[in-house]
Amino acid sequence: MSVYKHEYRAYSGRVTPLWTRVVVLARYGFAEVWSSKITVGLFTLSMLPVIVFLIGIYLANNPVARLIIMRGNPQVLTIDAAYFLKVLETQSWLALVLSAWIAPRLVTFDLADNALPILLSHPISRVGYVLGKFIALFASLSLVTWIPCLLLFAYQGYSSSQPWAVANIPLAGGIMAGAVIWITLLSILGLALSSWVKWRVVATGLIFAAIFVPAGVGGIVSAILRTKWGFLLNLPVIMSELWQRLLGAPEVRWPDQYIPNAAIAGVLILICVVSVAMLNARIRAREVVRG
Amino acid sequence: MGVIDLDRLEVQLGGRTVLDGLTGELRGNAIGLLGPNGAGKSTLINTLLGFHTPSRGSARVFGLDACRDRASIRQRIGYMPENDSFIGNMSGVRFVRYMAELAGLPAGEALERAHEALFYVGLGEVRYRKVNTYSLGMKQLIKLAQALAHGPRLLILDEPTNGLDPMARQRMIQVIKEIRKEGSIRLLISSHLLRDIDETCDEVLILKNGRVAALCNIEAERRSHRNFIELETVGATNEFCESLRGQGCECACFPDGRVKLVMPDQIEARDLYVIAAEKGIQIRRIHLRRDSLEDIFLRAMDNERARGELVSL
Repeated sequence: MSVYKHEYRAYSGRVTPLWTRVVVLARYGFAEVWSSKITVGLFTLSMLPVIVFLIGIYLANNPVARLIIMRGNPQVLTIDAAYFLKVLETQSWLALVLSAWIAPRLVTFDLADNALPILLSHPISRVGYVLGKFIALFASLSLVTWIPCLLLFAYQGYSSSQPWAVANIPLAGGIMAGAVIWITLLSILGLALSSWVKWRVVATGLIFAAIFVPAGVGGIVSAILRTKWGFLLNLPVIMSELWQRLLGAPEVRWPDQYIPNAAIAGVLILICVVSVAMLNARIRAREVVRG
Repeated sequence: MGVIDLDRLEVQLGGRTVLDGLTGELRGNAIGLLGPNGAGKSTLINTLLGFHTPSRGSARVFGLDACRDRASIRQRIGYMPENDSFIGNMSGVRFVRYMAELAGLPAGEALERAHEALFYVGLGEVRYRKVNTYSLGMKQLIKLAQALAHGPRLLILDEPTNGLDPMARQRMIQVIKEIRKEGSIRLLISSHLLRDIDETCDEVLILKNGRVAALCNIEAERRSHRNFIELETVGATNEFCESLRGQGCECACFPDGRVKLVMPDQIEARDLYVIAAEKGIQIRRIHLRRDSLEDIFLRAMDNERARGELVSL
């Protein structure tokens, strides 16, 4: 029926499967996020280090460049686990900046205009709603973390004269795992914190605060009590530890400050569980019109 | 099978019983849901949508259990909430398309239906404007458009004329009447405004304190109360009413001396004068009229003791 015929007609066409509703949420969330010029700007900025690292790999594998710039000394620029650790760390912290901008856009528009009662009156559950938003955020952060990291890995494998890629497959796995753990954490934390504040700017600040304020508190606890366990509040430190171990890069901390893997996993799981509980409480409270 | 079947439905929220043993079968094409604030109208709607789990009993929509089959029910329902509920930074057509896709329409058809729904409710010309720039009336209409876009079998409208000016209200009522006339959609309309329900519905469920105060077919109820009389009196109205009740009349008294009553067949109008003379009451005016929804509602609200007699299931 054409739009000029102003008569109601029942719908008798095909209906999509229930699971695809999550994809609809993710797709609209993704489109919403990338409709912002600031998101595009931040993404562009996030790609600048990738270009620098790409040039680094090119130089390290180009005999002429090695001869001219490094004067034949391969120690100046070696493409190994430490190099990819730098790549992963750089991209991961840029992902934090991007998530602090993106996560509030995904949630606060729905909450500010009280859209949840309408959204959730459709065949989509609370879990489905959060999953849709999570996928949109996770996919956006993937674009600046594991995808460029693995592309650099692939380029190094292609450029290297030796069978480098095959010998370093565990490194690629470590990059992937490290990035996925980090952006999963960022996505859940970002959505949870964004759901609790009305203004996007405040939500952005809150995401940074949630990472760095406990880190400061952890540092104080460690210094005063002379214990390494204060570092468990320091997300940047424990993520650096985790990335080093996943990539097999040399450890840079003192042995007496070694944090066990179980403790790191426990902290990360705890953050995720608390974030999910926060999200559930907030969405449950807003899903119906009270009255 | 009715559109909505309630079987001793009890819903508790925060330890308080909000819906208390609702039982009934709603079969009408357009069902009105009436009741004072806190009567449980919104809770009933939210229970039908699967947001609240019954603590006892069950609610069924098109034979599907509201709790167990909530996804299937939501697929068949279009819901227009009472309060502002939209995504303000989206254009009207994008918002409606989004909701239609969430309801299960493929992207292309969702876009087509979004355009149609917006034209149908009268927002065709402003469909590319952002929703947060709409007036209150337009926001009500876009909520209606999103509820209609996926072609639901049951349309739940919660206070559809809330905050609308007379023109916009008339437009909304007109659209609801057209939807009802089209016939493929059943309507459940919750409203404080009796006139809205009166104009649009053929069946009414009146709630009071979470219980069914009345459930009736409006037209049948009107037909069954042909001996409906409104009196204007001066004097001890309460005693007069007690006497009338003693004679078998259903009677509601108002502070300004107005008395509304439904007379049984054996009582005639002149008997009223006799009873009035006995009680020293002056009847200043007598007015025979058809039963209105207001009367049905007032009786349901007024006479909780006689609740069992008024409820006709």
